[in-house]
Amino acid sequence: MIDRLRFVLHETRESLLRNATMQAAAISTACIALILLGSASMALYKLDATAQSLPSQFEAEVFLKMSATRQQAVELKARIEAMPEVERVTLTPREEAWEQQKRELADEVNLADIPNPLPDKLTVRVRDPATLPAVAQQIAQSPLVEEVIDSRQELQTVLSIARLVRWIGLGAGGVLLLAALILIYNTVRLTIFSRQREVRVMALVGATLRSIRLPFVLEGMVQGIVGGVLAAVLVLLGATLVSDYAVRQWPFLRDTPPGLPPLAILVGLPMVGALMGGACAWWATQRYVRI
Amino acid sequence: MVELKSVSVVYGEQHALRRVNLSVEKGEFVFLVGATGAGKSTLFKLLYGELRPSEGEVWVLGQPVHRLKPRELPYLRRRMGIVPQDYPLLPRKTVWENIAYGLRAIGYGESAVRQRVAQVLALVGLNEQARQMPNQLSGGEAQRAAIARAIANNPPLLIADEPTANLDPDTSWEIIELLMRINLRGATVIVSTHNRMIVDRACQRVVALDRGQVVSDVPRGGYPYELDRLYASVML
Repeated sequence: MIDRLRFVLHETRESLLRNATMQAAAISTACIALILLGSASMALYKLDATAQSLPSQFEAEVFLKMSATRQQAVELKARIEAMPEVERVTLTPREEAWEQQKRELADEVNLADIPNPLPDKLTVRVRDPATLPAVAQQIAQSPLVEEVIDSRQELQTVLSIARLVRWIGLGAGGVLLLAALILIYNTVRLTIFSRQREVRVMALVGATLRSIRLPFVLEGMVQGIVGGVLAAVLVLLGATLVSDYAVRQWPFLRDTPPGLPPLAILVGLPMVGALMGGACAWWATQRYVRI
Repeated sequence: MVELKSVSVVYGEQHALRRVNLSVEKGEFVFLVGATGAGKSTLFKLLYGELRPSEGEVWVLGQPVHRLKPRELPYLRRRMGIVPQDYPLLPRKTVWENIAYGLRAIGYGESAVRQRVAQVLALVGLNEQARQMPNQLSGGEAQRAAIARAIANNPPLLIADEPTANLDPDTSWEIIELLMRINLRGATVIVSTHNRMIVDRACQRVVALDRGQVVSDVPRGGYPYELDRLYASVML
């Protein structure tokens, strides 16, 4: 068993060291397809995580008029809480909100001498997101209310971007993956032709189909793994550069949740590559290696 | 050992073999003669299962080759030594590696490979050429190396397709002597050729094929006039 394994590994190595151009073609195509797959996965993961960290689609923010007194705010809170659709209402007093704002912007502007421009705020949470527009509309009719912000809109924008990225990623990744599959298939097919003598000698001395085909399948897997490792390194490098640039341009992005862990890319892409390469090679040997 | 029962092979409308009956007993040495295109290589391919008959039965070493599944063929081939006409040696491997390659491919361990390769190299007289590449060998040496690989597994049946093609008369005879030595050690040997000189000199059984049919079967030590008739009909 070990002798046969050693023979198969030796044959795989010999084959990989020959036909350098074809190997490079197969590896680079696998690499490009996997880069697309990896980037799309990372972008989607980040967008999903961001969407989840946004205020939930169960909530609306109600800003009161500056003229509304604290007493009126508390009464309004109680009235909203009494609505059957509402689960909970939280009051954020304007002093508290202003203190927080001053703390957050302390490095950038000095707000100490400015009078508090913020109104009281009520955060309304409903039991069923479908009732939110109706509840928001009803609250907006109160003469004490300046504005009602329904955060579902914000969420919808992020989700629609996520959907778009998902479809573009899936489409382009799918086309490139198919191209990579065909190229690896073709490389293995050409390798089989270039090793016709070995295949024939093995067949005539009585090697089993499996031991004749295995080196080719392993070769396809190695091409996939090498392409996957290269793709993982490039994707991680690219992600770091893009995220550094984006944070410099739009500092608020610093607060978004972390993306896909690098280890998932480093392990995942070579694994997908190995599967892809092995499957193509297996398919080619089924057609072209016969005894 | 080998039996063909009313075997035909048809390519499109062309008959490569037509109702061939042939029986080879254990320990025999048989020449298969005929002009190019007579069906010799087709008959050999039937024996090791590379080709299936359009009709009839092919029995080799007790196995019905005509109905063996592809996954069963390797186990039959391990009991046969095959010297093919095309691609006899791997060009990027030395003589030693060429012989070892066949043994490794069927699962021989390192020490068994070393032992068997040394034995067959001595048998075919290629000890000194063991480290040479195929392009450094003469035609006769290359053919002996191919025979060495075929017999490395010690098979009871050896099939050699035109092993003397493109060899000078002396070298051709050396190859036939080698095959007869292997036959004397117990292996059944079937050799295809259209070299009249070696067939005459070897005095073995001669089966003649012409346009896909067995036209003559002269037993070992057959009468010279029968051979003359044979040459007149099939060996141009």
